[in-house]
Amino acid sequence: MGSPIRILTAVPICDGHDSAINTINLEFIRHGIEVVYLGFHRYVGDIVRAAIQEDVAAIGISSYNGGHIDFFADVVSQLKKKGANDIAVFGGGGGTITHDDAKLMKHRGVDEIFFAGTSLTEMAEYVKKHYGKRKKRRANSGPDLALARKLTELEDAVASKKGVPHSSSVIRHSRAQRARVIGFTGPGGAGKTTLIDELVLRFLQRQPETRIAILSHDPSVIGEGALLGDRATMINSQDDRVFMRSMATRGQAGGLSPATENCLALLARSGFDYVIIETVGTGQEALPFRNKLVDQTVLVMNPDYGARLQLQKIVMLDVADIVVVNKTDLERAKAALSEIEQRLTQNKRKQEIVATVAKRHRDPGVDELFELITK
Amino acid sequence: MRYLKDYIPGSLDFARDDRDAEGKPMSKLGAVVEAVEKHGRFVLEQVKRARSDEKFAQAVTERWNKVKAEIPFAKAPTGLPLPRLALPEIDEPGEIARYLFGDGLPGEFPYLNGAYPEMYLEPLRQIETGSYGNRKSPNGSGETVAARVSRAKTPERPARPPLQEEPTRLFSGLMLAEDTNKRFHFLSAHQRSKRLSTAFDGPTLYGIDSDADGVFGKIGEGGVAVDTLEDMVRLYDGFELGASNFSASMTISGPAPIIMAMYIAAAKRRFGPKVVANLRGTIQADIFKEVQAQNETIFPTEASLRFLCDMIEWTTANMPRWYPVSISGYHIGEAGSTPVQQAAYTLSNGFAYAEMLSSRGVPVDQFAPRLSFFLDCGLDVEYIALARVSRKIWAIGMRDVFGANARGQMFKLHTQTSGRSLIAAEFKNNLTRTAAELMLAYMNGTNSCHSNSADEPFTTPSEEWIRLAAHGQAILLEESGIFKHTMNMLSGSPGMKAVERAVEKAILDEFREIESLGGVLAAVENRYQRSQIQNAAHRYEQQIYDGTRPIVGLNRYRNGADEMPEIELVRTPRAKQKLQIERLKKFKKKNAEKSKRALDKLSAVVERGENCFPALLEAVEVCSLGQITDRLQEIVGRFRPMV
Repeated sequence: MGSPIRILTAVPICDGHDSAINTINLEFIRHGIEVVYLGFHRYVGDIVRAAIQEDVAAIGISSYNGGHIDFFADVVSQLKKKGANDIAVFGGGGGTITHDDAKLMKHRGVDEIFFAGTSLTEMAEYVKKHYGKRKKRRANSGPDLALARKLTELEDAVASKKGVPHSSSVIRHSRAQRARVIGFTGPGGAGKTTLIDELVLRFLQRQPETRIAILSHDPSVIGEGALLGDRATMINSQDDRVFMRSMATRGQAGGLSPATENCLALLARSGFDYVIIETVGTGQEALPFRNKLVDQTVLVMNPDYGARLQLQKIVMLDVADIVVVNKTDLERAKAALSEIEQRLTQNKRKQEIVATVAKRHRDPGVDELFELITK
Repeated sequence: MRYLKDYIPGSLDFARDDRDAEGKPMSKLGAVVEAVEKHGRFVLEQVKRARSDEKFAQAVTERWNKVKAEIPFAKAPTGLPLPRLALPEIDEPGEIARYLFGDGLPGEFPYLNGAYPEMYLEPLRQIETGSYGNRKSPNGSGETVAARVSRAKTPERPARPPLQEEPTRLFSGLMLAEDTNKRFHFLSAHQRSKRLSTAFDGPTLYGIDSDADGVFGKIGEGGVAVDTLEDMVRLYDGFELGASNFSASMTISGPAPIIMAMYIAAAKRRFGPKVVANLRGTIQADIFKEVQAQNETIFPTEASLRFLCDMIEWTTANMPRWYPVSISGYHIGEAGSTPVQQAAYTLSNGFAYAEMLSSRGVPVDQFAPRLSFFLDCGLDVEYIALARVSRKIWAIGMRDVFGANARGQMFKLHTQTSGRSLIAAEFKNNLTRTAAELMLAYMNGTNSCHSNSADEPFTTPSEEWIRLAAHGQAILLEESGIFKHTMNMLSGSPGMKAVERAVEKAILDEFREIESLGGVLAAVENRYQRSQIQNAAHRYEQQIYDGTRPIVGLNRYRNGADEMPEIELVRTPRAKQKLQIERLKKFKKKNAEKSKRALDKLSAVVERGENCFPALLEAVEVCSLGQITDRLQEIVGRFRPMV
């Protein structure tokens, strides 16, 4: 079996109408498609950068606030400018896009506009029919494009069980220094994504040369596709100095994807200073980072883990280098911090514990974590 | 341990002094649930008492007979005499008590039947007599039985404001300020009262300047472009902003405090500082609704709420005739929620605002009368009683949990018919849909109403269909006899009561769920409301496609080809978009020095945690909307969307 189709969906700048796209995303997933969802109120540049890094087959744009002719045309032309004219563009806007508009938009390079009344299944079938086979790409495309395509090849190779392509063909900067790899894991809802995005903001503000790669994971729905939605939340990470890739777990348990290890190896030698890897929300027994996959592990926890006894069962507490207790604005935080601190003393090794409120701008706890990671 | 207040001095300190039966802390929402249940028990006790306590039974019956005796009669055009108020045919004291305490007469607590005694009735002609609905003093003959025989807080009878203004308020906003101004003058030319309603373009709604990268095509699209105080002056040029027949409505939430400050500064520039106290109007400013459904918000939720409360605190103290927030379920409904979710989230958002303002020390009688509501009305059966139940829950919560007086208990409601229920296929059917929704809205005693144009699914409403939509309201209220002769004409049917009970129970269940998640703000941060709305939206779409939700012309009785009229779209010319940018650049250049100082001052105030609204009022004199947004985002961060 080959890899699932990957597409990116988004809503244009100054437009918050995400009700339609949310429904359509779910339908795509049900049809086995992996959807990287970028969110609403998104600039053309952010959409194009994300589509290239994620190496999607097509971009679906849902526009309800007008200005669609310019916006769609802009996406097409920026893709072209970056050598990614193989990435298709389609979209819709209920009744706001007229048939005449659609004609003009298609003339300017848009594949298809769906009108009100199109069934969800029709749209999903269209995507499956037209974007199932990847088109060839020009050889002299930019570095992000090349890296993104290689990551896709690694994923495809694992999916088809063909084995991994030879490493020298995979690795772009073979002599480049290996990046520092930091692994983030923890239960769902602990705030890993927000925390990473806040760290990225600090990298961008305080280290003007640093380049970062992020490998983020979201679960595949059994027998279906996946909604890869971390980009929508990671507002600071949509930047030219950040290369982000969203991966679906594709049936593998434990928080990572079957291709993670290969992709990580490639990213670590592709000229980045840091590679941040985020697992899906994990259970108590999870130990996602084996085989020295990462240089430093950060376990992100929520104060609401239940009774104190539960802490004994969380295996990651034994091995994490840093334990972050996030959401310490919650009522239970004080108790949680001291319980976890006590739990860590059993391990008799050096482990750091940091209290954060990642959702808060300029949180001093996140500053502390940034220092621990970069020292 | 770090708590919210340790980080942002003066930030919202959510008072958690209520405790539930097990001693667990409880937000005010939990207290509202208890108050509504307690009121239910109170009503049952009154029923029992009326059946067992002879003296009480007598008082209840006397009051009932007096009310009935005072109901004036009026003649329909056919000559048929009708009472101005219809009451159930009951004479048993227990049932009378159930009605008086549980439903209340129109205009009486808990306002199930209406916020005011007369609502849409035609004015009473001189010759007819009686005093119901005609009372002058709330303490005169209109004293209620609840006031005399119960220990509950005294319900005051709210006086209906004198009939003066047309309810018309046409939403408008296009291109640049002068274009919208021209439209405003055109729309209000023949009206006694000048009631303007302002739509802003995308960049303004997101607090972005017109000269920002990537927004050029959006300037003046779907609303008016406002970057500076000078645009605001142009926008309302020629209108007497302080006049008693003028009011302005502004549909904007994310950057609402900045836009509000611009409006006030524009008014002061034209009419001097004394005009401020006379300003009338509404600004939407509903942050919770944005985060839950509409997505037009620009700062992190806590920071947005703080700026909102700064604004409400200032305006309710200095502009007693202004409505600084319109608590909106409409966008929640349009995003796909069920009717119960819509009402539950809207009410709980309202209670959360009340809780924040109370915990800041703003007196309840200062802010509560300045809160207003906006609901959607669609075709689902819940709409038969949704607003009625909402009015009751709000009144009980505000009286019993927040200690509000009668003016602060009233759920002042604007309704709009459902845009989502309209479809492009065989679009003329939309007239019928909207008519049915209007009927439901008026059966629920809405204080004002907007009816959608049938052509809305595919275009900005055209003049022809706008007229038909507006006339639909006039036909119901003025032509037909359904609402103009008799209050309660359709209230309280067995079916309506059944819906009321089911809806009330479901809303309280939603409140309990939100409470169990830690209250409204915590639930919002857990994406609870968002994911509930998304699930409901998805179910709705599925039902349309599998046919369990019939839509005529779409999945039933479909007639092949859709006739869609040729649409002429108004798009903003590029020259105008360029002009807006030039003006903005000139403004920025002129104020380069001063704006830096003003922004620094604003920063300092925000960092210190003081009410930043006075500093905003100064900043808008010399800074653009985008400059202020950018500076505030540097301090408090940007909104992080929730998927």
